[in-house]
Amino acid sequence: MTLSHFLLVALALFALGLYSVLTRRHLIGLLIGVELMLNAASINFLAFDRFVVKDPATGQIIVLFIIGLAAAEAAIALSIILSAYRAHRSADVDDLDELKN
Amino acid sequence: MSSGTLALLCTHAPLVGCFGALVVLRRAPRAAAALNILAMLASLGAALAIFAGSNHQPPTIISLWLSSEGVPISFGFLLDGTNQLMGIIVALIALCIQVYSLGYMKGDPGYARYFGLHGLFAWAMLSFVYSANLLQAFVFWELVGLASFLLIGFWFEKPSAAAAAKKAFVMTRIGDVGMFIGLILLLSSTSTLDIAQLMQASTLASIPDARLTLIALLLFCGVVGKSAQFPLHTWLPDAMEGPTPVSALLHSATMVAAGVFLYARFHPLFVAAEGVSNIVLVIAIITAILAATIAMVQRDMKRVLAYSSISQLAFMLLGLGAGSLYAGVFHLTTHAFFKALLFLCAGAYIHQIGSNDMVTMGRQGAAKLRLVSAGLVIGAAALAGLPPLAGFFSKESILAALHGAHANAFVYGAYLASFLTAYYTFRMVFLVLRPSDKSVLPAEEHEPHPHGDVTGSMKLPIAILTVGAAAAGFAGDFIAKLIGAKALHPTYGEMAPAIGIALAGVIVAFFEFGRKDAAQQGFITRVGALDTLFERKYYLDEIYDKVAGGLVSLIASVSAVVERGVLDGTGDLAGNLTIATGDATARMQSGRLQLYIGSAVLLIVVFCYFVGGY
Repeated sequence: MTLSHFLLVALALFALGLYSVLTRRHLIGLLIGVELMLNAASINFLAFDRFVVKDPATGQIIVLFIIGLAAAEAAIALSIILSAYRAHRSADVDDLDELKN
Repeated sequence: MSSGTLALLCTHAPLVGCFGALVVLRRAPRAAAALNILAMLASLGAALAIFAGSNHQPPTIISLWLSSEGVPISFGFLLDGTNQLMGIIVALIALCIQVYSLGYMKGDPGYARYFGLHGLFAWAMLSFVYSANLLQAFVFWELVGLASFLLIGFWFEKPSAAAAAKKAFVMTRIGDVGMFIGLILLLSSTSTLDIAQLMQASTLASIPDARLTLIALLLFCGVVGKSAQFPLHTWLPDAMEGPTPVSALLHSATMVAAGVFLYARFHPLFVAAEGVSNIVLVIAIITAILAATIAMVQRDMKRVLAYSSISQLAFMLLGLGAGSLYAGVFHLTTHAFFKALLFLCAGAYIHQIGSNDMVTMGRQGAAKLRLVSAGLVIGAAALAGLPPLAGFFSKESILAALHGAHANAFVYGAYLASFLTAYYTFRMVFLVLRPSDKSVLPAEEHEPHPHGDVTGSMKLPIAILTVGAAAAGFAGDFIAKLIGAKALHPTYGEMAPAIGIALAGVIVAFFEFGRKDAAQQGFITRVGALDTLFERKYYLDEIYDKVAGGLVSLIASVSAVVERGVLDGTGDLAGNLTIATGDATARMQSGRLQLYIGSAVLLIVVFCYFVGGY
């Protein structure tokens, strides 16, 4: 198990997240995609922490921050989605285009 | 007192008077007048003291004003003979006329302002005369123009007076622009504007010939404007809209003489400049004859005198252009006396009778004013050049100067002009003093409005100037010594035709206007076309109107095209471009969130690729 294995997993996860952000129509889907990309970043941090850096504390602290951040972000994003849904009776990104042009 | 202090007193005392009258004593007109007359007295005293003490004084007093790139510009006083003479004339005539104005302007609501403006004029004029530096002279030259503007427009509630003031200001400015360019050229060629230094032969020799001619011509532009020579003479007759004493002081005796004085001041330069004197002579002879012919058919006494001033100023330039400093300055001196006298006489008639029209004056009994009429006759005889009065000697010396070196055409032209001068002068005298029952001239449309009797304060200056006009002709040798030029004594052979011509003019005028039961119609009326031409002043005002008006509308239409096409077009283009850019970029805001994210990611990848170096 070398560094590159971990990085490949993280890359795959990130790419999946990005793909779902770019293709999903539903807002919840977008949110899930963002979560996936955050987790990919976390895996990257832990992998570099384990294989490159001599002091293992730094990366773990950052990952804890990311988890906290993701939780807060999920709460805010869900509430935004909820109110957007209430306003538009829809949670499809293509319907939320009042500011276009 | 040193001559510097005296010169300072002489030039600046009237400024104190001006300030006092315009600022402090507005509500006390009599005190304002008294202050200004006292100031003028101080000026005259100082001018005489400078003259008396001139033997043991330095001729120039200079203090540095500023220095730029090694060129010093100084203010100061140049106290040589020419300036002393001119200073005394200006101060004396100004004093006489201020005393005269005490009576003439009585009861005018602007009494204090009038005297204040007189002070302003005297300050500017005296400072101009004594200037040691050409730039300083130019500053005061313009201030003289300003004072003239304010005094012509003194009764500014009359639209014609306001228009005349504007016209005088603008027309003299045309000449001044030329003069200013000449001044700059002179500065750039010699690196000095000090008048005494400029007039040294070595300084003049250091300027290339062509440039010297150009400078002389440009300075002459200023002279043409200020001294009302053709083609810039049309402002002077209109300037008669001002009060008569103003016309006497500014527009005949002193201010318009400033141009001639400048020419006299720069006489060495004009002599050194190749070919300029011929141009000067041509312009002067044209002006002299043109103005004299117009004066022949005028009925307004002040206008006759105005045209005669133009004609006489041209005579001075004839003398100077012929190369004789003496003849020009001498005629300037005598003219100051007799022309101021004639104007004051005209003012007295206008005051008493209430009309400018000579026929009305005659019919209302102008001859009953004995002293004024005596002054008028003596002044007129001096103007006509009858011996032994002032104008005779100075005009003789001008003719002698012309005889000396120049083509006959100029001499004959001058003879013609002096014949016309004698003719129109005595036409005026006879119209005013010998009204005829058989006169064919129609009465004036307006009823005259008398202002009041001629007071003692008006008679005194007339008496003084009458003596001056009678006697100034004998001062020739004295003036020659003072200005350091050679006096010209014409031979009897040269004198005889001039006297004959002047007498012929008087006799023709007598037969047509002065005889008992004369029809009072000039010979020129038999030639209808010429009569109309002179009456309408050669249509010059109309031509200038057309040319200036046409030029202005041409510039205006070109400007309109430029504004609509270029300026408005640029503005519209900027606006339209902004709108188009906005429209185009607004299309990019598609509202497709995922498109935004995608392009953001793409950009980051591209950015990383280049920055990271992969």
